[in-house]
Amino acid sequence: MAYKHLLEIKELKTSFSTERGVVTAVDGVSFHVDAGETVGVVGESGCGKSVTAESILRLLDEKKTNYLGEICYQGTNLLALSIDQMQQIRGNEISMIFQDPMTSLNPVFTIGDQIAEAITQHQKCSKQDAFSRTVELLRRTGIPAPEQRVHEYPHELSGGMRQRAMIAMALACQPNLLIADEPTTALDVTIQAQILELMQELKQESQMGIILITHDLGVVAEVCTRVVVMYLGQVIEEADVETLFENPLHPYTQGLMKAVPTIDGDRKQKLHVIKGMVPSLHQIPQGCRFAPRCEYADSQCSQEPPQLHAISPKQKVRCWHAAKFMTQGEEHERHHLD
Amino acid sequence: MKVITERDVFSMLEIKREHRQRNIRRFWGNRFAVTGSAILLVIILLVWIAPFLTTYGPLEVDPKNRLQAPSSEHWFGTDNFGRDLFSRVLYGAQVSISVGFSVALVASFLGLVIGLLCAYYAILDHVLMRICDGLFAFPSILLAIAIVAAMGPMKSNVILALVIVYTPSVARVVRSVALVVREQIYIEALRSQGASAWRIIWVHMAPNSTSPLIIQTSYIFAASILTEAALSFLGAGIPAPDPSLGNILLDGKSVIFNAWWMTVFPGVFIMAMVLGLNLFGDGLRDLLDPRNSQTKK
Amino acid sequence: MSGYILKRLLSMLPILAVVAVVVFMIVHLTPGDPAAVMLGDEAGEKEIAELRSQLGLDLPLAVQFFHWLANVLQGDLGRSYFSDVPVTQAFWEHLGPTVSVAILAQIIAILIAIPIGIMAARRRGTMIDQAVMGVSLFGISVPSFLLGLFLILLFAVQLKWLPVAGYKPLSSGLWNHLRYLILPALALGFMQAALIARMTRSSMLDIIADNYIKTARAKGLKETMVIYKHALRNACIPILTVIGETFGGLVTGAAVVETVFNIPGIGQLIISSVERRDYAVIQGTVLLITVTYVLLNLIVDLLYGIVDPRVRLNRKER
Repeated sequence: MAYKHLLEIKELKTSFSTERGVVTAVDGVSFHVDAGETVGVVGESGCGKSVTAESILRLLDEKKTNYLGEICYQGTNLLALSIDQMQQIRGNEISMIFQDPMTSLNPVFTIGDQIAEAITQHQKCSKQDAFSRTVELLRRTGIPAPEQRVHEYPHELSGGMRQRAMIAMALACQPNLLIADEPTTALDVTIQAQILELMQELKQESQMGIILITHDLGVVAEVCTRVVVMYLGQVIEEADVETLFENPLHPYTQGLMKAVPTIDGDRKQKLHVIKGMVPSLHQIPQGCRFAPRCEYADSQCSQEPPQLHAISPKQKVRCWHAAKFMTQGEEHERHHLD
Repeated sequence: MKVITERDVFSMLEIKREHRQRNIRRFWGNRFAVTGSAILLVIILLVWIAPFLTTYGPLEVDPKNRLQAPSSEHWFGTDNFGRDLFSRVLYGAQVSISVGFSVALVASFLGLVIGLLCAYYAILDHVLMRICDGLFAFPSILLAIAIVAAMGPMKSNVILALVIVYTPSVARVVRSVALVVREQIYIEALRSQGASAWRIIWVHMAPNSTSPLIIQTSYIFAASILTEAALSFLGAGIPAPDPSLGNILLDGKSVIFNAWWMTVFPGVFIMAMVLGLNLFGDGLRDLLDPRNSQTKK
Repeated sequence: MSGYILKRLLSMLPILAVVAVVVFMIVHLTPGDPAAVMLGDEAGEKEIAELRSQLGLDLPLAVQFFHWLANVLQGDLGRSYFSDVPVTQAFWEHLGPTVSVAILAQIIAILIAIPIGIMAARRRGTMIDQAVMGVSLFGISVPSFLLGLFLILLFAVQLKWLPVAGYKPLSSGLWNHLRYLILPALALGFMQAALIARMTRSSMLDIIADNYIKTARAKGLKETMVIYKHALRNACIPILTVIGETFGGLVTGAAVVETVFNIPGIGQLIISSVERRDYAVIQGTVLLITVTYVLLNLIVDLLYGIVDPRVRLNRKER
């Protein structure tokens, strides 16, 4: 193999020109995805995780969008490709599933048409072949009576069924990378679990890489192998999933963890809330972007922006005080063992 | 629950008034609305001072000078009877404006009353709205022609015909807005406090209908000018020899090979008036229609 | 679906009833005696009285109405007082040219307006977009008869490319037929094109922002497929609405434009009947056109079901 990672994002900077000036929604993001692994991208809404995802497939309006950095897929920089070449990649090598299955399917075509379209777009095959493969895909994603369902319109399916249809569409050409942008947010909890399980199964079969974008740490814990935490357009922490849950180093990540309710914890204890609001992209803090909301922030934090640096082979963090938390965490653990 | 008094309602209206003042400033920031107003102002001014601009009356026949091309003597040339076209076009525009204005005023008033009554009294609603639907089903020019044909071509009949044609559309708009207001809690509260139907309709429901009413009025003004011109052009409007932009065009059609000015000048006036009113109306709509101004942001 | 059609037909009944009453009343709006007006100033008392009883004008109004309505329901709209031809026959004889003009105008409008509207939406805010919006505002402000006169001045009087006025039926050859229809159809189609272009632009702008368009792009579809298949099919619904709502107006508009070009269609029938005070013809023509207009709106409504599957479902449930 000529390339190191299936997908490697290097210092991606995505900015939009708006009426109020240039807004940089993604500012120097780097991470990678290997075949067969699921990378979670976590953060509050507005942190740039969806923009990162859409930058990979270049789905943003390119008249208003400016990309810097590199997005290397199997060693090729996607940002340097022509639109035609990009169209060869989309849906074929890299597919995407969106948050809201209610609005992500075209209401005026049957789901069969929409899935078969993805097949005929990228592969030479007869309409009949495409159709029977569509039925097979729907069966594989767990839709009952797929022979009938192919002829139905999106509004005739439930939310969970629509998301299964979206997954079937995304998998139509056996992509190497699947980007799932909050695939379960709009669904009921039981359906969420089924969809996640389905994605896990499909990954194991095909060895594709998955980028799972979510704000739900529960989902991350369940399916991801590695996690990227984003805040205000930057990666602030990256670690494999066990390390991150055991020893979150960035105060923001720690806050996120504490904000998840647990059943076995002390119920009288109030849920942790990260104080303050996410600042607007027009007023980015000068130093560490999280400093105004951070309880540990000192003068260094508010003046000099910290860099993302490796603390251990498994963990990177963007915080001046990370080392301190490291020892604290270990001390805490030791204390726990006693 | 807090009881909503009439004073609260008034303070709400007060806030609305402040909004309105801010909106007036926004109106002048709207390029289209300003252009529209400017066009209208120039035309109204021209029509106003028409008697001082022309030395010829619109009906003065001069057979020796038939079909003269535009010159310093006759700015717009003369028509097939030797009448001064500049004078006729300005007086014709005056007729158009007076017809359009009368129709807009009367149709808006009638539409407002009918719409409000329909919104308040369910029984009236059934009867009047069916009639409005029926009138709405007619193509507007066709109904106007039929009415003028039956009643005789006269300015007052043209106005009446156009009022009949355009009132239903106003009534529909007012009714739909007033129905929403009627269902609001403060109206219920007022009713339980014994406010009379008259008071609820005129003090509370009517002011809420003003924005859509004003927008509708400006469009009806434009549509009436167009329809009047078409009626007169078809010979079912303002009768000769009185000038109207439509009947000047009708005269001009028979001499279109010899006298382009008889088509171009009245035509440009009609276009300018309607364009001005449409721009003005669009400006008003952007301003007053909350749905629209939201998408504009 | 058939239940839905029936329901829609039933809901049209009160509208048609009002239309019938209004059309009937037209004659009775005449100040004074319709018979005297029809015969003119020179008619004697006896002649007027004869015509009155011949037309049934001496009966009570309600009785007259039901007589008239009974005849209308049997397809008898009376006879032209002037030419003694049945009104329905006169109507059919004049309908062809009007429909030709209206349909040609509609075709020209759709062919021009939809691509232009899409282009404006895709290049939102650019010079092209502003030009399209400006020209279409102009189009909405110029009445078709006026545009017709301007077109005659330019293409017939100045450039002498096309005939000034007149009409040749289709039987005289397609080109001959079209040659006479181009200017009237352009005059009529321009406003229609302006309306359709504006509607296309605004609904495309809404749809391009929808999530399923992003899905289509993420599938790797070519941009032309995304726009012309996925977006346009959805934009069809509002575009169809505006086409449907204005097609009736187009037919009446054709009647007006015809008089500019001396085309012997419905417009001329109406205008000449107005001049001759031929009330039966005026009534009959107005009634037939209005009923056609109402029916056209119904057809457009039913067409939605074909374009938009969601509508079909809702109707099934009803």
